[in-house]
Amino acid sequence: MRNEAAAQGSIPQNGADRTFWGRLSGWTAYRTVMGIATASPRRQFLILAAFPILWVLTQHLGPMVQMLRVSLMDAYPVAPGVEQSFTLDNYARFFGDQIFWQPFFRTLSFAAVFTFCTLILTYPVAYFLARHVSRKNRMLLLLLLLIPFWVGEIVRTYAIMILLGNTGAVNLVLQWFGLIDRPIPFMYTSFSMGVGIVYLTALYMLLPLYSALEKLPDSYNEAAADLGAGAWTRFRRVTLPLTLEGISSGCTLVFLISTGFYATPVLLGGPSTTVFAQTIAGFFHVAGDEWPTGAAFATIMFAGAIVLTAVFQKLMYALRKGDTK
Amino acid sequence: MRRGNRILLSCIYWAFVLYVFVPLLLMILMGFKDSKFIGFPIRSWTLDWYMGVFVDAELLSTLGYSVTIAILSTLISVVVGTWIAVLLEGRKFIGRAAVFGLTLLPALVPGIISAIAFRIYARWLGIEPGMGAIIWAHAVHNVPFVVLVVMARLSTLPKSQIEAARDLGADPIIAFLRITVPYLIPAILGASIFCLLLSFDDFVRSFFLGGYEPTLPVLIFAMLRSGMSPEINAIATVALVLTAAIGIWAERFTRRMNRDTNP
Repeated sequence: MRNEAAAQGSIPQNGADRTFWGRLSGWTAYRTVMGIATASPRRQFLILAAFPILWVLTQHLGPMVQMLRVSLMDAYPVAPGVEQSFTLDNYARFFGDQIFWQPFFRTLSFAAVFTFCTLILTYPVAYFLARHVSRKNRMLLLLLLLIPFWVGEIVRTYAIMILLGNTGAVNLVLQWFGLIDRPIPFMYTSFSMGVGIVYLTALYMLLPLYSALEKLPDSYNEAAADLGAGAWTRFRRVTLPLTLEGISSGCTLVFLISTGFYATPVLLGGPSTTVFAQTIAGFFHVAGDEWPTGAAFATIMFAGAIVLTAVFQKLMYALRKGDTK
Repeated sequence: MRRGNRILLSCIYWAFVLYVFVPLLLMILMGFKDSKFIGFPIRSWTLDWYMGVFVDAELLSTLGYSVTIAILSTLISVVVGTWIAVLLEGRKFIGRAAVFGLTLLPALVPGIISAIAFRIYARWLGIEPGMGAIIWAHAVHNVPFVVLVVMARLSTLPKSQIEAARDLGADPIIAFLRITVPYLIPAILGASIFCLLLSFDDFVRSFFLGGYEPTLPVLIFAMLRSGMSPEINAIATVALVLTAAIGIWAERFTRRMNRDTNP
């Protein structure tokens, strides 16, 4: 009788729970393991933390550390029987030849210019979405912009090639209107490369700007208007300073991404727009003995990008501080 | 004044929409051109290039290869990313900031440097270039995105539900599997789709870690280096339709899930 009552009752007795979870927690093996694992909160935490910490150390930090190590080797892979030795020659090679530092500075300055263009282009778009569109339509209009950005780097680069080619759409339209009588060679210049890179990175700028602008309360602008500030003054003294954080994070993201493009400059750029990514890649297409140089160059580029980003962040921070005072 | 601004801004918005859509639409259109020569004007039309894509066995196998890589790397990213998110969200411990910083590292390293670093590391670990290496690199690269998405969702989980489960006798694992995981499902699915798209479209890591078999972006890149052709338009369009369809579906799906669970 009692067993029946227990089976029908709503509270499952130990071992009588026939669900998957009940059975699982009923296993002796499971209970023993769980008993050991949860004996103390400290042990529980260690078990939870061990794998993630191991992962970020070996998988996230590991490749960067190994790249740094190889960049200091005089040969890689180390030949059997030869003692591996460390050297700074790979770094010295960079400074010794302008064939190397030209693309380096070109990459950083191009990335800065493209980042600025992206900012100028997407700020009004983000502003329109966040401040002039009703909440209901906002997601729809934003989604419209998201769709093309799911499409990958290569496909979108190719689309730009079709747009800007000598027989491309832009030249066709210009000729149609009689503005030009022969096609303008847009392709294989820093212009085509810029159009492509801005196209690829615009969303990474748009989203931080949009969220910064969306958070901005209307009351600030209204107060400024009540005090007699015109549209331009309101924008310059209220909106812009309060969205500096969004500008800062968008620019950082776009700048770092822009320095890392390889395929787009190869396809859209020309001989006079070789970027550092192409220089670096060159060392990896040949035999293994050039790898240390390639690793050193990649390290230099990463360091350069990080230093510029840090300086930029510092500037933005100072600007923000100055404005809130 | 405000009205004038509004009209100006909306013009800029629609001009921007044109900027992001027109190149892709032109590319799709060009795939219907009945000539080997890429460029305007289009005088006659054909479906041959698109038909060609669906009978090209090599191309279909490349497509399958890319999709397999995307799925497998996504599975790894999601498991690892969720685990890291559970560790980091709402928990204080020494070195948390360092672990969080390291977690975001792969997302911030510029593409070419990330690819080179993976290439060097793979050789050190003895991983041969090829499918395994690509899956591994994509998985590691995508972990930060999963962590961010899952952490955001996790921060809204009512902690009382976990406490209630624990009070009713569930051990941490059972409480996690029965309360936390179901709550995280929308975020996990959203992150998975994002990882699938990132992996499917990734060029630079696939290029440097690939063996002889190319993924779809690597194949398109290789074809482009030997010149443009309507065949590439058709292939690129197939890739585009595939990504856009998954993206749109995921967007709708995650929105519905969020609405259902967050009334």
